[in-house]
Amino acid sequence: MRQFHSLLLFLSLFTLSVATSDYHEQLLLTPLHPSLLLASFNFQSNTTVNSFEQQNFRNFPRSLGQILQHANTRELHLRFSLGRWDAESWGARPWGGAREGGTGVELWAWVEAETDEEADGRWLTLTNALSGLFCASLNFIDSTRTTRPVMSFQPSGDHKNSSWDNLHLLHGTLPREVVCTENLTPFLKLLPCKGKAGISSLLDGHKLFDASWQSMSIDVRPVCSAGSNDCQLQITQTIDMVLDIQRSKRPRDNPIPRPVPNEELRCDASKPYHSEDTCFPLDTAAQEEGWTLSQIFGHPLKGACPLATDGIDPVCINVPHARQVFASEGSHEHLDPNGFMRCFQLDPEKELEMILPQQEITEKAPLEQPLLYAERSFIGYGQERGGVQAILTNPSPTKAVDFVYMESLPWFMKLYLHTLKAKINGLDTHKDVIQEMYYRPALDRKRGTQLEVRILIPANSTVVLTYDFEKAILRYTEYPPDANRGFDVAPAVITIGNVSIRTTSLLLPLPTPDFSMPYNVIILTSTVMALSFGFVFNLLVRRFVAVDEADQWDVRAVRLKIAALIKAKLKRFRNAEKAEKRE
Amino acid sequence: MSIDRRKATLFGAAAAVRILLFTSFPGLPELLTARVEISTPVTSFKRLQEGLFLYNHNVSPYDGGVYHQAPLLLPLFSLLPSSATYPAFTYLLYILVDLLSAIALINIAESGEAVSSKLFTSPRKGKRWSSFAIAAAFLFNPFTIATCIGRPTSVFTTCAILHAISKAVQGNSFTAMFALSFAAYLSMYPILLFPPLALLCYDRRKPLKNPELMYSFVIGNAVAVGGSLYSLLHMSSLITGSWEFLSSTYGVQLLLPDLTPNVGLWWYFFIEMFDSFRNFFLGVFWIHLSSYVAGLTIRLRRQPLFVLTLLLGIFAIFKPYPSISDTSLFLAMLPLYRHVFPLMRYTFLASSTILYATLLGPAFYYLWIYAGSGNANFFYAITLVWSLGLSLLTSDALFAVLRDELEVERPEMKGKEIRQI
Repeated sequence: MRQFHSLLLFLSLFTLSVATSDYHEQLLLTPLHPSLLLASFNFQSNTTVNSFEQQNFRNFPRSLGQILQHANTRELHLRFSLGRWDAESWGARPWGGAREGGTGVELWAWVEAETDEEADGRWLTLTNALSGLFCASLNFIDSTRTTRPVMSFQPSGDHKNSSWDNLHLLHGTLPREVVCTENLTPFLKLLPCKGKAGISSLLDGHKLFDASWQSMSIDVRPVCSAGSNDCQLQITQTIDMVLDIQRSKRPRDNPIPRPVPNEELRCDASKPYHSEDTCFPLDTAAQEEGWTLSQIFGHPLKGACPLATDGIDPVCINVPHARQVFASEGSHEHLDPNGFMRCFQLDPEKELEMILPQQEITEKAPLEQPLLYAERSFIGYGQERGGVQAILTNPSPTKAVDFVYMESLPWFMKLYLHTLKAKINGLDTHKDVIQEMYYRPALDRKRGTQLEVRILIPANSTVVLTYDFEKAILRYTEYPPDANRGFDVAPAVITIGNVSIRTTSLLLPLPTPDFSMPYNVIILTSTVMALSFGFVFNLLVRRFVAVDEADQWDVRAVRLKIAALIKAKLKRFRNAEKAEKRE
Repeated sequence: MSIDRRKATLFGAAAAVRILLFTSFPGLPELLTARVEISTPVTSFKRLQEGLFLYNHNVSPYDGGVYHQAPLLLPLFSLLPSSATYPAFTYLLYILVDLLSAIALINIAESGEAVSSKLFTSPRKGKRWSSFAIAAAFLFNPFTIATCIGRPTSVFTTCAILHAISKAVQGNSFTAMFALSFAAYLSMYPILLFPPLALLCYDRRKPLKNPELMYSFVIGNAVAVGGSLYSLLHMSSLITGSWEFLSSTYGVQLLLPDLTPNVGLWWYFFIEMFDSFRNFFLGVFWIHLSSYVAGLTIRLRRQPLFVLTLLLGIFAIFKPYPSISDTSLFLAMLPLYRHVFPLMRYTFLASSTILYATLLGPAFYYLWIYAGSGNANFFYAITLVWSLGLSLLTSDALFAVLRDELEVERPEMKGKEIRQI
């Protein structure tokens, strides 16, 4: 993958020199072990800042440009990702991880605003507008999912010093979002050739979202040539995916994998137990899988995009020169003399088909070793509390690695920072490892936890970072419909200079109440309270009397007494009347 | 002298039991700290550690959702060596607080206020337990011991309340009011104890030549409580640098944003409550809790100490974040009324209900949270039983005391069956 970087360097030099050329695109194919193919699509267009401000868009997508102007956004990074990059067998990430996001959707932007409140308002505008543009739930990036990273993210564009003080970095993630075809369609619409011609014609939702790992990215940044005021706005769109070649080769009408017939099995006959009915599969590392472009992507490439006029070869493949590659007529092959790269120039009118036959070859394109291996998982059991463990390994035998580890956790995961421990190679030597820390605790229902730790790992060492947390129990209306699935926790972001690495997202199960019985709970609790209230106030307001006295004070007795009294009065009254008559 | 030696033996034994539990089971403090029956969001020792860590690293602990305890605890615990490296100092502090509470309880018991107050003397006054026995019942109560090992900060509130009462029975009203303010400062709900406590001070004050009127006495004490509360709060704002701790400590008790399960009735009710009615029911629950104060204070004017005892029992059931520490305080005060125990009607039922809930509560919690074979209703049901058992006990004690009062008014009623009208 070193060739890859040299290619990038070459490309960036090229863009600087040919600033007038507005658009270029390139596809790089890299076979990975075992029988996988990394396809990196890169689309880049420029516009001058002046024409952007005058709403004169050419290759820059108008829909996105107007949103950026409306939300005063100076730099934007949007990511849609799925799957896990297997660094152990696939090596370093494409683009050094710079064009990649955590599982789900990730968005970060530099917004120009006078105050924090104004920045929050513009961020809200931005997320809502992008939500509509990309058919994603970006409008759910609310204050609990937004952080303002301090150490982790640096702007990649050139910003004027005057406006720098008013730029606010905001970062939001949606780890639960399922990236799908509905996000690819608006993505393709932003491209000048709209997926009709050029390398973007290979992009197909069926294949892209069937990949073992995929990442779509959009970056908008201002680029200024040194020493002049002449600035350009650059939009870079990339799609990287790791496709399983065997899986892609299955016929679409009959996709169920079937066991290889007995006679086609390639067995290692040197094993002592090898026999008619026992087979140890032969090591196929030297065996290169055969594939064609239309097998992998469903159809061949539909000619070059006529707008890409900078003369860069649009399709490259990173294989040893000994590997046979047959391209269809009309294309010109260029071999890179000092490496494993070969590129193809296309005929705009003709389709490109590329065939790599099955081949026995021991030479491999070398894999670049990543700077750091990172994995993160939950520890502990039960739905009350747990822990997080991040295993960070520096594979380099000579160089120490210095990086920032950033976590943005949901508020219902109550982090205990005093339990944060770093063990290096199994020993507690915490102070040398953790160099600097930024911590912003969560507030219930208002914001999430933000933790940034600067860590230094010496050569050839492993650091295990652990901390405890408590799982909050939520109000029953705050659970999603599938409450027992758990809640997704955004990946940790590791920044090593320009290289970034993301861990996988985590699934956090929370304790759940019984959703079926709000009425029952209200009634039962109220009953207990009423009973207790009744016990106490019944004793307080009523008087005690002896049981035998109680009859006198009975209501009936009182009624009888009153009746007797009235009778007596009436009698006396009648007697008085009689006496009067007698007189 | 022999009494003092007995007391020393008692305190020594109580301290020894706790030290033994702390040292011979090193996992026990952590285990009990994590129990929801002992640690609540407003008293948990683990949250105190977190607050302390943030405070020592210049992050405001109140700008977060974890620490909801009083600010003065932070400098107090920062003075102690870290509990992670030298846990012994923390253990000793908590043992000391328990012993101080026991001393206050002994003072209350020795005053004899429970059997014979200024306005009322029980006909059964010979039948009381000695102060030694009452202190032993407090110190060896499994709830008290579990609380001490679990180290919630509610033990400081318990100690402050007991000292407020003990100073009140000694007629030392200003100190009593200060202790009450401190308790209220730590956990807010003890402020509701002010009316009976002021009456207790009034009854027990030293005879003066010109006795003050009750109203001016109560108003004077209210001013004392207000003044000391204000100075405590002001001190806290100086320590933390702002007033934001108010919403994070008292606001949490009033509005219940943290719904961590506990032995009380509030958490599940407000998990299941419809959003539009949440504020209404928060108001209802608080009014319900404070409604007992006026009723009991007026009806039992002659025995303010019993009003305090009963209110502590009611708070242990109905306050927002109750724990067994509150129950242990109520059970510490209840033996003062040993002389009315024969008049109680449901002692067996109430005590077996409480025992049943004590044993099944942890089991049901385990089934819900860890085993996954039960759901939240299991633990909720057991908290209902627990609350019912405790309310049976409090109301039965109230019945016994009222019956006792009746026999003073009408001595011929002794031993006869009675009815309420």
